[in-house]
Amino acid sequence: MKTINLKINGRKRQIEIEENERLLDIIREGFHLTGTKEGCGEGECGACSVLLNGKLVNACMIMAFQAEDSEVITIEGLGENEKLDPIQQAFIDTGAVQCGFCTPGMVLSAKALLMKNPTPTKQEIRRGISGNLCRCTGYEKIVEAVELAAKRIAETD
Amino acid sequence: MKKTGKGIGIMFYGTGYGNGYPDISRAKAKIDTDGRFTISSGACEVGQGAKTSLAQIPAEILGILTKEVIFDHEDTKTTLDAGTCAASRQTYNTGNAMKMASESLKRILESKAREILNLSEEEPLVFDNHEVIVEGDPSKRISFKQIANTADVGDLEVVEIFQAVTTKMNEETGEGNPYWPYTFGACGVEVVVDTETGTLDISKAILVQDVGRAVNPKLIEGQMDGGFAMAQGYALLEDLNIVKGEIKHHNFTKYLIPTALDAVEVKKIIVEDPESSAPFGAKGIGEPVMIPVAPAILNAIYDAVGVRITEIPVTPEKLLKAIKEVG
Repeated sequence: MKTINLKINGRKRQIEIEENERLLDIIREGFHLTGTKEGCGEGECGACSVLLNGKLVNACMIMAFQAEDSEVITIEGLGENEKLDPIQQAFIDTGAVQCGFCTPGMVLSAKALLMKNPTPTKQEIRRGISGNLCRCTGYEKIVEAVELAAKRIAETD
Repeated sequence: MKKTGKGIGIMFYGTGYGNGYPDISRAKAKIDTDGRFTISSGACEVGQGAKTSLAQIPAEILGILTKEVIFDHEDTKTTLDAGTCAASRQTYNTGNAMKMASESLKRILESKAREILNLSEEEPLVFDNHEVIVEGDPSKRISFKQIANTADVGDLEVVEIFQAVTTKMNEETGEGNPYWPYTFGACGVEVVVDTETGTLDISKAILVQDVGRAVNPKLIEGQMDGGFAMAQGYALLEDLNIVKGEIKHHNFTKYLIPTALDAVEVKKIIVEDPESSAPFGAKGIGEPVMIPVAPAILNAIYDAVGVRITEIPVTPEKLLKAIKEVG
């Protein structure tokens, strides 16, 4: 048992962790932020993608103690008040969501991509989200959604 | 060397449980005391779009907006059984049950409106924005809420049951009507095979799907993209590798499914040929969209390099071996 401090979705939090807990476990079980999904649990599917100090990681591959004094953004941390993040809105508008299990990770992957590269090509989008598996959509509408989000963000800036 | 080839695949598929197995969907439609319309049915939304597309059916019948339809689904405590979300059956089966329930409720509303407004049987009525209106004389109108206020409890509530008509196939003769309805589709692909590595790229793809009637074209496109990608994985990547009953490829490191980098931009053509027994002609397409893709890919490989592959997935190793065998 160990107590760590971290910032999660902009709020300073303290939490008791077990040595063998993963970042994914404290996000879901500790903070009850269940938007982050566990898919494979071995870093292959991207369903548990979160931003750790601004970098995209699989929360199943990070030990909880590694998140000490870090800043974590989960899907719940996107958007402001009632307003969705432009990426979330674009996913809805293009129909890029089917069963929804990959969606939180996919959105955060797109977020990480657009933070680095605000005007990606289609191929760069494909590469950017290639670590996130989706079984329903065939990815086409997801790629469209990220393109649309990039366009909208550029227009509002 | 890179070699290009083209191939097609065609298919037909019987939706529903089939073979005479009871394939039943139930729906309950009602108007509450505030005049709001609610329909409940146990169909599950699992990402295929049941919640959206099924709600469009009563909206069309009752002249209200889809977003105004209160659709109670999934919850087994409050809904009647509408069977499984399987066999691509919900659009057709539950769609039919919801259409029947909505139409029955509409007839009840019409008859109540005639009674309250003192109208003859001949006067034509239209439904718009939660009101029943005499066509050509809009001064004569009554809202669902006004009708509800004069009705007794349970008057404006109706349950309908739809059962698909299929028969058990005669095993001796192969005769019978094992499925209804059937849906039809075709796929065409162009592949580029690298004869030195055995890898292949799908350079062009077209997928054509008969849907009866496209209730929601955007959702259908999503299903077509998804079905193509799944079939692409089925044809080229996905192998459980079962050895003596043990699945050897038990994770995504070994069991590969397509990623966004493998995804192909598929030209999608929706064919509308309404099915007479279906709700507004609409049939299910969840599974059918996947079926013609793998045959099209295998035919394209044959066109490109002259080898007939008879076992999937066509991994680079398998394709390379087959190419070497024919010289």
